[in-house]
Amino acid sequence: MNTLRPTSTTRLVSVRYDGLVPYTLVMLVVVLLPLLLPNFLLMQVSTALTFALAILGLNLLLGFAGQVCLAQGALFACGAYTTAILVAQGGWPALATLPVAAIVTALAGIVIGLPALRLGGLQLAIVTFGVAVLTPQLILKFDRLTRGVTGITFDPPAPPTWLPLGPDLWLYALCVVATAVCTVLALRMTRGDSGRALQALRDNPLVATSLGVDLVRTRLAAFAISSAFAGLGGGLFAILNGYVSPQSFLAGRSIEILIGAIVGGIGSVSGAFLGALFVVFVPEWTAELSPALGGLIYGVCLIVLMLVARDGLVGLAKRATPVMFLLARKGLTSRPATTAPASHQNQEISS
Amino acid sequence: MQLLIQQIVDGLAAGAIYAALALALVLIFGATRIVNFGQSEIATFCAFLAWQLCEWGMPIALALAVSAILAFVLGAALFQLVVRPVSRASVETVVVVTLGLFLAFQALCLWLWGADQRTFPALFPAGGWIVAGVRLTAYNMGVLGVLCALALSLAALFRFTRLGLGLRAAAADVDKSTIVGIRVDGMLMLGWGLASVVGFVAAVLVAPRLFLSPIMMAPVLVYALAAATLGGWTSAIGAVVGGLLIGVAESVGATFLPFIGSELRLLIPLALTLAVLLLRPQGLFGQQMAVRV
Repeated sequence: MNTLRPTSTTRLVSVRYDGLVPYTLVMLVVVLLPLLLPNFLLMQVSTALTFALAILGLNLLLGFAGQVCLAQGALFACGAYTTAILVAQGGWPALATLPVAAIVTALAGIVIGLPALRLGGLQLAIVTFGVAVLTPQLILKFDRLTRGVTGITFDPPAPPTWLPLGPDLWLYALCVVATAVCTVLALRMTRGDSGRALQALRDNPLVATSLGVDLVRTRLAAFAISSAFAGLGGGLFAILNGYVSPQSFLAGRSIEILIGAIVGGIGSVSGAFLGALFVVFVPEWTAELSPALGGLIYGVCLIVLMLVARDGLVGLAKRATPVMFLLARKGLTSRPATTAPASHQNQEISS
Repeated sequence: MQLLIQQIVDGLAAGAIYAALALALVLIFGATRIVNFGQSEIATFCAFLAWQLCEWGMPIALALAVSAILAFVLGAALFQLVVRPVSRASVETVVVVTLGLFLAFQALCLWLWGADQRTFPALFPAGGWIVAGVRLTAYNMGVLGVLCALALSLAALFRFTRLGLGLRAAAADVDKSTIVGIRVDGMLMLGWGLASVVGFVAAVLVAPRLFLSPIMMAPVLVYALAAATLGGWTSAIGAVVGGLLIGVAESVGATFLPFIGSELRLLIPLALTLAVLLLRPQGLFGQQMAVRV
């Protein structure tokens, strides 16, 4: 795949950064965040991580499989409700529900993915968006299981006694571990033959199938994994809040996840995290800036961002890094230039 | 039987509104291959403008005319300022831009006019007729009449005028149209302006039925998207037929299927669209498309 990317700058940058540096940096940030941030902000970062899982799933689907699923918020809700129902009504320990949430949501995702075998991109987008709009209504309809408008409240899991962590920190750690696992899975999936099969299917299904890629299996697998990520994120979201209600899963949630995926940068794993941080924090900042105009500023922000950075924040960062390096190098070379006259003067004085 | 016919008539009137907004969506999709998610909110904004003009003492007919012109200018300006710069970008980028339009205009309406519901002046007399036990309100008939007029005038524009030919050519092939001397950008701008006016008509038809509020068109957008998909995105007739079909199916289904009730009303257009798409992936009147979203 790399041979198909002829631009020299990206090659250079990727060579320079593909070492251990980014991983150490990420680790450093992950460890430092709880020390630097107040609890409230830490919870928000955890929330952003749960969204990042859903966005990562959508990213795989959209960027690598080329399938548009606007029902990601619905799948998120599916995971959240699975966890909440199992904990509150089944008496399960919260952590044990997470794999179940992922599996149940993966099954739901396969059901949603079935029409994708036949529908084109736009049609699939509209149908899945319909599912997203329908979700809160479905939750209300099955109120015996979901307790309708009132929602389900349950106790978030306490940290194990052998770990000296506060509850917020424990939840943060949970989110970090889950995200790390999913990130590794996503990276494994997008590289190697499975990633190539996905991309081949995206670029030309006809050629891909004639080369032996199983369209049905690969597409449904992409849907299942993407949904499992969303379900896991949803389960964690439920645990973080200790509460689920239909209000948290309106159609806007799916749109938010879509915006996060695209703003972050489609087809890139790190983009999912940037996108999640964007959709969690930027609306809050704009609302703080001006409570009345917050929504307007956010909307304009989105438009301007897309005008400036079509390929998302990751693309922007990629283009910005060489420029920054150039600037930094210029700064370094210009510093001797500014000091040189001074030394010259000194010489004059001494002479 | 009477109940069934009554539900069909009511459904047709609701469907006419979906069809009007779907027409606007299809116009823009035809011109620029973009699904404009902001359409409904831009329309709401223009309806609010009309209401404001009425409040300031302008007669309703004049207020509507002025707002329609403003809607046209707004649609054209949005195309120039926001859409044209990204028209060659990937579909995802454009989607976020139109979603941004949706959010921005909804917030703008909220900011300017607040979340309160306003009463929009009635466009049609309150009365109605009873024919063979079926109640035909003047409002319902008026909405259907407006949709017919809208669809026919658009059809005439595209079919019989030089301008319509230019619009169709610009939508079909940018490069070849440029070669034969059509100002493609001007045509696309015109298309966006027209669509904005059509959306405005839809909003003005909705406003008296419910109340005028910043969020009144968002549900209509969902139905209109379903209608446009059902009809096939490339066909204006499809949008009208799809809208009417969805209106009728929703109204009849919600009455006669006890499980659906009022909560799951939305399931009907969704199921209908899905069923049609599974049989005919390009939609009822659509042509096989070679674009990917």
